[in-house]
Amino acid sequence: MISKRVLLTIVVLVIVSPLFGVIGAELVGYHEPLEVAAEKIGLEESEPVWSGILPDYTVPGLPDTIGYILAGFVGVGVLLMPALLRGRQK
Amino acid sequence: MVFYIISLAIVAYSWKRYFKDGDGDVAMLSVMAAAIFAAQMLNWPIPGGTSAHLVGGGLAAVILGPYGGCLAMFLNLVVQCLLMGDGGITALGANAFNMAVVAVFAGYWIYKAALSVLGEDKRALAAFLDGWIGITLAATACGVEIGLSPQFGYPLSVTVPVMAVWHFALGIIEGIVTGAVVWFLARKTPNVLYLER
Repeated sequence: MISKRVLLTIVVLVIVSPLFGVIGAELVGYHEPLEVAAEKIGLEESEPVWSGILPDYTVPGLPDTIGYILAGFVGVGVLLMPALLRGRQK
Repeated sequence: MVFYIISLAIVAYSWKRYFKDGDGDVAMLSVMAAAIFAAQMLNWPIPGGTSAHLVGGGLAAVILGPYGGCLAMFLNLVVQCLLMGDGGITALGANAFNMAVVAVFAGYWIYKAALSVLGEDKRALAAFLDGWIGITLAATACGVEIGLSPQFGYPLSVTVPVMAVWHFALGIIEGIVTGAVVWFLARKTPNVLYLER
């Protein structure tokens, strides 16, 4: 059983997430700490083997904030699939 | 690469234990994985250009038990890696080791030990320690991996303290959130907590 309250919590988390992950990140000029460290020692980022379907939580062509939320729902949706499928069988 | 093998072995073992011996609740597992995913999207920006986000391994362990927690965290990492390109595919093994193995299992043992020392009703405090120390240990493991990696030019004597000290400080937040959520759940719906079932 998936409790509605838990689902609601997750949805709220995703909707407010750009406040932190996108807007807040721009405010402080966020850079992934490990990427900064790699840059400092002159490490070239090699071509990624795989950069994801929604690279760095963005949807190509959409503003970062919206993309972040959409990417969030996609991720949450994929992870919730087993629960939803199982729920329907019962 | 070594971490791929270790992590996959532990994840496979957890899978077996969770579904064969435990309650094997698929819905709980997938909801927890989704909740962790959402919680990890809340990057808390820190002036100076960095950020901290919750990991949730300790929390997952308290709710699902160590095996379920490990699986939920691993699923979350796979989705982050494959869909979002967050954490390279080559780093998945090490990431899984730090967050799905170290943070979850160490956190779980700390929680259990704290409960037996402090008393069964001190769940929030035990969960605080679980989240806090679990993160610090996971970060330490990450520091060791970076230090050992020929890709990064810093020795262990630099990477381990940097990762451990910062996460020791920031991990307090993780500890507080873990403690608060467990406190809330223990009051409202104690049967969702693994040890209460």
